[in-house]
Amino acid sequence: MKSLYLLVLFTLTLFAHPHTFIDVYPTMVVKDGKADNIRITWKIDEMTSSMLIMDVDTNGDGKIDSKESKYIEENYFNIFADYNFYTYLIIKGKKVELPTPINFVATIENHRVCYSFDLKYNYVVKNMAFEFGDTDMYTAMVLKDEFTNIAGAKAVVSGVDNDFYYGYRLEIK
Amino acid sequence: MMELYSSFIKQIVDWQYELNHFISSTIREVNDESSLTLSLTVIGIAFIYGLIHAVGPGHGKALVAFYFTSNKSDYKKAFKMGYLIAIIHTFSALIFTFGIFFILKSFFRKNFNEFSSIAMSISAVMIMLVGCYLIYEAYKHRKERDTEVKKSKKSELAVAFSAGVVPCPGVMTIVLFCIVLGQYSLGILSAVAMSIGMGLTISLAGIFSIAINKKTGSLLNDKAYILEMLGGLFVLLLGSFLFLAQHHH
Repeated sequence: MKSLYLLVLFTLTLFAHPHTFIDVYPTMVVKDGKADNIRITWKIDEMTSSMLIMDVDTNGDGKIDSKESKYIEENYFNIFADYNFYTYLIIKGKKVELPTPINFVATIENHRVCYSFDLKYNYVVKNMAFEFGDTDMYTAMVLKDEFTNIAGAKAVVSGVDNDFYYGYRLEIK
Repeated sequence: MMELYSSFIKQIVDWQYELNHFISSTIREVNDESSLTLSLTVIGIAFIYGLIHAVGPGHGKALVAFYFTSNKSDYKKAFKMGYLIAIIHTFSALIFTFGIFFILKSFFRKNFNEFSSIAMSISAVMIMLVGCYLIYEAYKHRKERDTEVKKSKKSELAVAFSAGVVPCPGVMTIVLFCIVLGQYSLGILSAVAMSIGMGLTISLAGIFSIAINKKTGSLLNDKAYILEMLGGLFVLLLGSFLFLAQHHH
C-alpha cells in the first residue's frame, strides 16, 4: 500500500497540471468521404490571453494586425512544433506525421486570443481520427461537440485517457 | 485503479477549466463595476481554485509526503508545513510576478517561461540537497533514538523552502491578470486566498502520509533509520527527476 502510494505521488510530481486552457474548434468540409484540409482554431483562455495580448499587441489597439500576427506565429506558435502542436493525426489506428500548419492567423475575440491554421492533407475520413492533448499536461486542450464544424459528415467527439494526461479524440463518420 | 485515477484527473481539469473561465470573467466585471460583492466572489473562488489546483500534480505535496513518511511527526506539524509551503509559494509568485511585470514589462511571456524554468531547476537542486541532508541525518542518528526532536526544525524549513520556492504559475496567472486590469490589491488578495486553499490541500497530503506512517511505522521502530534513509533517497531521486524533467525539452 505504502509503496503504491509513494509511486503514485512520485509520478504525479513529474507532470505539471494545466495552467493554460485551449478550446479547439475544428472546421472541415467533407465531400465523398474525402477532404483536403482541416482548419483548426485554438481559443486560448482569457487569463493566458491577457498575458499574450500584453506582450504582442505592441501598438495597444486591442487588435492583432498582420505584423503582430506574424510575430506571434514566429515566436509563440512555431515553438509548439516541439509538442506536435498538441495535435495528432491517426490513420488506420496509427499516428502519422502531422502536416505542417499553414495560413496562420492570430486574432482577438471576446478578450481571448485565437490561433487559426490549416492542416492540408489528402484526408480519407474513414479510418481517420485526430487527437488533441498535451502530454505534459501544462496545457489542457478541450474539444466539445459544439466546437466542431464538420460539413458533409458527422463529427464524433470522445475523451481519450492517456494514463497521465487527458485528451480528446475527433472522429469523422 | 488507473482508470479511477485518470477520471479523477479529468474531473480536476474540468473543474479548473470552469473556474478559470469564471474567475476571469468575474475579475473583468469587478473592473467594470468595482463592486465589493464581486471582489469577495473573486477571492472566494480563488480559495477554491487554490484548493483544487493543489490537488493536481506538483506543489510540493510529494516532498511533504516523503518527508513525513521518513520522519515521525504529528498532524499539527503537517498543517504547519503545508502552510509554510503555501506562504513561501505565494510570496515567490507575488515577487516573481510583480518583479517581472515592472522590471521587464515587455517580452513578458517569454521571460515568464524562462524564469519559472530557472526557478524550477533551482528548486530541483535544493530538493536533491534536502534528500542528501535527510540521508546524512538518518545515517548519523542510526543508533540513537528520539533524535527527531532536535533535527526536525532545520530540515522542515529546508523542505518547505525547496518545495515552495517555485512560484505557482496558477497564482502568477491570476495575479498578472489582475495587474493587467489595474486591480493590484485584488491580485494580492486573490493570491493569498488561493494559497490558503493550496496550503490546506498540501497539509492534507502530509496528514495522509503520517497516517500511513503510523500504521506501518510501528513494525519498523528499531530500524527506523532505514526508513528515514529510504525517505531521503526518495527525496533525492525526486529532485533528480524534477531536474531532468526540467531539462527534458
